[in-house]
Amino acid sequence: MSFTSFQFLWAFPLFVLLYNFVTPRFKALFLLATSYLFYLNMQPVLFIMLLIVTALTYFSAHYIANQDDDDKRSLGLRIGIIGTLSPLLFFKYFTFLANTLVTSLHLFGLEIHPITTNFVLPIGISFYTFMAIGYLVDVFNEEVDVEPNYISVSLFLSFFPYILSGPIERAGNMFGQFKNLKRSTWHGVVAGLKLMLWGYFMKLCIADRLALYNDLIFNSISSRSGSTLAIASLLYPIQVYADLGGYTLIVMGISQCLGIKIIPNFNRPFLATSISEFWRRWHISLIKWLTDYIFTPLSFTLRKWKIGGIIGALMLTFFISGIWHGASFCFIFWGLMQGALLSFEAYTNPKRNRFEEKYHLRHKGIYNFICILFVYFVFAFTEIWDKEGVTWNDTMLILHKIFHEWGTPYLILSKFLYASISFVPLLFSELRNEYKPECFLFFDHKNIIIRWTSYLIILFMILTIGVLNSSQFIYFQF
Amino acid sequence: MERKAIIKQLQSIIAEVVKLENVELTEENTANDVKGWDSLSHIAIIAQIEETFSIKFKLRELAKLKKVGSIIDLIIKKQN
Repeated sequence: MSFTSFQFLWAFPLFVLLYNFVTPRFKALFLLATSYLFYLNMQPVLFIMLLIVTALTYFSAHYIANQDDDDKRSLGLRIGIIGTLSPLLFFKYFTFLANTLVTSLHLFGLEIHPITTNFVLPIGISFYTFMAIGYLVDVFNEEVDVEPNYISVSLFLSFFPYILSGPIERAGNMFGQFKNLKRSTWHGVVAGLKLMLWGYFMKLCIADRLALYNDLIFNSISSRSGSTLAIASLLYPIQVYADLGGYTLIVMGISQCLGIKIIPNFNRPFLATSISEFWRRWHISLIKWLTDYIFTPLSFTLRKWKIGGIIGALMLTFFISGIWHGASFCFIFWGLMQGALLSFEAYTNPKRNRFEEKYHLRHKGIYNFICILFVYFVFAFTEIWDKEGVTWNDTMLILHKIFHEWGTPYLILSKFLYASISFVPLLFSELRNEYKPECFLFFDHKNIIIRWTSYLIILFMILTIGVLNSSQFIYFQF
Repeated sequence: MERKAIIKQLQSIIAEVVKLENVELTEENTANDVKGWDSLSHIAIIAQIEETFSIKFKLRELAKLKKVGSIIDLIIKKQN
């Protein structure tokens, strides 16, 4: 059941109503039952993987917390991580690794038939596995107390708003909330519905509108001109942002209607003035997870090598980020490019700081605007490799066409017009929130007429401009 | 070592790592308050603190080193 389906839209108010009739003692159980039904409705067979990872997480965390001896705690952590990670590695990477091995052996003259498997990836496995590992490491580091309640751990890993595509939540943020579930408040429901409205707007009016053009272009690369591919490549980051950003707002909105706060995933990423700042604003829950559980331990271990250690840790962290996005050389290359760009920045940042300080550039609009454009273009370029279904040869063809066969751009004015109309409120909201957060409020205006006019305009745009028959979110496939 | 003396040394360490001429710190400051003090430079700052004060942090202690006041607490604890 997708959050953009009519099935969900009629079931949701009913669910919120029922949730409020359940006594506080049974609210967590009710949410768990709903989450499991939600999952079973989509993928009944592989539901078992979620149950196995939950059990492994619960018992490993208890083992780690109950040991006094550091070696035993460390052993518990290792077993827990290997156990929870194994299903993800098997389902997502087995075919890729096996065929890479077959290709490597072929280079040495050994002929083995390529392996063809037909594994269906368990829904949300990349997300609940990372959350499980995060919880185990937090227990090991004594940053989070071990959770004695099995229902809370199960709910943490399966909570239906975020199990499909994140955000990758933290045990420290969720357990306390699950223990203290209360009735929805009027204020919470209104705030939640506003987030959902804006999320649906981003998803249906911007992401899905742009997808109509981008899917058409990227599904027929060989017959497109370089200029068309350049336009589609430049629009793609906005599509991804509106897709995952919109999805996250819907998740936050659903949760807020239940009185639960979920961490945000984006913070106006396209207003970042450096690549490192961009990565602090883009897919925040994933990057924070990678920072806390991969980059920090690695760079701490390698700290005696100074900048060399930081670069090594960055490359490995983004290599993992690439692999997390998908089992293909395109995603690995994409990750390594991000690592290289960040390493370059880490190396040159002190010089940039001095330069900006010397010429008082930080508050100069034109300088920041050029930096913002530069970061956007660099990210859009790297995103050529970050598309599901696009092969290495496709990416080479895209680049060849952009640089050698510019040609005439293929533009569908009606689709661009609708997407552009939708883009105006998004751009306005991004700029307002970044530079004047207290001004020009519409959804939060104290005047009820302005507030309701704003809701109705956005709702009207969703119903008239929105693509109402699309079903998938981009990050659903991860 | 007094807290005031430690904070002065921290100011010069951070200014050196992030290459800023002047860094003014209070015990309440966090990385967010200093331009250039991010997760990339954090480890370099930690390594420099270890070298300057001849101490060693554990990985588990890193999570506690987010506020200037907490860094000072841990330095004093390690030195004693």
